[in-house]
Amino acid sequence: MKIALASDKAGFELKNYIKEYLENEGKDYEVVDLSEEPAADFVDSSLLVTHAVLDGKTDRGIMFDEYGTGSAMASNKVHGMVTANVTEENTAHMTTQHNGAKAIAIGAGIVGKKRAESIVDEYLGVNYAGGRHQIRLDMLEKLY
Amino acid sequence: MIIALGNDHIVTDTKIKISEMLKAMGHKVIDVGTYDHTRTHYPIYGLRVANLVRDGKADYGVVLCGTGVGISTAADKNQGIRAALVADTTAAKYAKEHLNANVISFGGAVVGEHLAEEIVKTFLAADYLGEDDDLVKKIDAVESEDNPEQHDNPHFYDHEMKLWDEGFYHD
Repeated sequence: MKIALASDKAGFELKNYIKEYLENEGKDYEVVDLSEEPAADFVDSSLLVTHAVLDGKTDRGIMFDEYGTGSAMASNKVHGMVTANVTEENTAHMTTQHNGAKAIAIGAGIVGKKRAESIVDEYLGVNYAGGRHQIRLDMLEKLY
Repeated sequence: MIIALGNDHIVTDTKIKISEMLKAMGHKVIDVGTYDHTRTHYPIYGLRVANLVRDGKADYGVVLCGTGVGISTAADKNQGIRAALVADTTAAKYAKEHLNANVISFGGAVVGEHLAEEIVKTFLAADYLGEDDDLVKKIDAVESEDNPEQHDNPHFYDHEMKLWDEGFYHD
C-alpha cells in the first residue's frame, strides 16, 4: 500500500518520526514523502496529500500539522475528499471502515509519538466496509 | 446566539444533552435532527446545519455523529463554512481563534458528556483573533467550485433516499 505523507513546520518532526516508523518496522508500506522540507502552511501540505490520493498516486494519506483540524478543514473542501482529524485509536479504524477516509490528519501539538504510531496502525490496518455506509459516501460525493 | 444543531441516529441522546445545555445558557437552538435512533445518514444533517450558518440564520453550528468525521466533512463541503472536528477544548479554542471556524464537531460516541459540553462552551466563548485572515482566505479559496443545487434544497438527496428505500444499499 502506498501512503502519502506531508506536513507543515509544526507537524514536521512527527511526520518524519512516522515516516521512519512506517518504513522500518517490517511493514509492507511504500511511503511517499511529499514534504522533504516543511510546506509553507497546512493548507499546502494537506492539498499535496489530497491530490496524491485523489489522483490515484497513493492509496491513502496522512497529513501533519499542529492541531490536525486545519488540515482536515482545508482538504475536505476538495470535492471527493474525506479526511478525518484523528486523535485516538478508535476513530482511526472506524473512519476507514465507515467513511472510507482517504486521509487522516494528526495534530503534532495534540497527539504524542506513541499514540500516533497506534493511530496510523489502526487507520492502515483495516478496509472500508461498504454496504449501508456507501449511501453516505455517495451523498458526500454530491457536495462541492 | 442562535446555534444550529445536527446529528445522526448514533448520537441523538448526546445531541439532546447539548441542546439542553445551550438553551440553559440562553442560546436559541435550531435542531435540524435527526430526532430519534432510526437509522439515517449524516450528510443530510451536516448539510442542513451548513445551510443555516451559510444563510446567516444561525450564528454557529454544532454537528455530531459517532466519530464526527462524516458529519463535519459534509458540513465543511459548503462555501462559507469552516467546520472543525476536535476531541478536546484546546483544538476547539484554536479553531475559533485562528481558523474562524463557524461549525464545531466532535465524535458523540468518542468524547464523554462532560467533555462534549466543554468543547461546545469553549468554542462559543472563544473569539476569532483576527490574526489569520490570509490563512482563512486560503482555506476558503480551496473550495473554488460551488454546487447551487445543494443549498437550501430539501430534495437534494431524493435520489439516494429512493435507492435506499428500494434496498440498493445493504450490508
